[in-house]
Amino acid sequence: MSEALVEEQAQAAETEDAERKIIGFFCRECAYAAADATGNARISLPPTIRSVLVPCTGRVSPLHLLKALADGADGVYLAGCLVGQCHYREGNLHAIDRVEFARALLQSVGVEPERVQMFTMSAADSPKFVAAARKMHETISNLPPLKRK
Amino acid sequence: MPLTARGEAIFERIPNSAPRESTGSIGCEIVRHEELCIGCARCASVCPTGATETSGTFDPMQLFAAPPDSRRGALGEALRKIARHQPSGPIEVPGRVSSFRSIVYEAEKCIGCGACARICPTGAVEAIPVSAAEIASSRGGEAA
Repeated sequence: MSEALVEEQAQAAETEDAERKIIGFFCRECAYAAADATGNARISLPPTIRSVLVPCTGRVSPLHLLKALADGADGVYLAGCLVGQCHYREGNLHAIDRVEFARALLQSVGVEPERVQMFTMSAADSPKFVAAARKMHETISNLPPLKRK
Repeated sequence: MPLTARGEAIFERIPNSAPRESTGSIGCEIVRHEELCIGCARCASVCPTGATETSGTFDPMQLFAAPPDSRRGALGEALRKIARHQPSGPIEVPGRVSSFRSIVYEAEKCIGCGACARICPTGAVEAIPVSAAEIASSRGGEAA
């Protein structure tokens, strides 16, 4: 997956109209399968969630997370495999550390670190996927809109 | 560290000369341009004395100073857009984040070999050769 494609999809997801926007980067091996199962079961997700498919959460860099926030998203989250069950062995561990780094960066400039979060789940665990989406939606709804320069 | 034959020759021309104790040898003066650093840590991996090392922290100000077309510059631009105030100082870097770490350079341990400057892919490390004349004048002598 090329750098441009990931950014393009994130941008396309951002430009659709909604009051609050939350970008979810979903791992193809687990979270996206869980999202599929959620759709099949006809469970609705919060309208603020925009999904971006990535091959592994390890593909997402701090730049993707902060660029999404700078370009219009109010929150960003990653949904990846359970620790120890990454399809690429350690991709989700890298993602966890990058999320932590992005949160530290946000905190250092006075932005709420809760705007960036990471969730892990198995491919069969669609209830956990829905819970993650709703929790993210709730967190962002309780925060003021992100101001940009 | 023993001197090279050329080093010995230089010292012989300078009255009352001896290698400086802190550095032990004649070398280049190392100047780091942190705004150009991309955090690849190659300088730290080639440093023979451990004068250049990667640290466990990162100063977000480095992102703002980086060139806009670089990766760090792009991250800095995104951060500047949403920042509410100036960064409050260096932040701790989690273990698996390798490219966003500040490089620490300790002049006390440096022998001025210039290996870091040769391997640096962005020109962030500059090795300025110290001429024999400069060394001589700093010791009150004259270079031949």
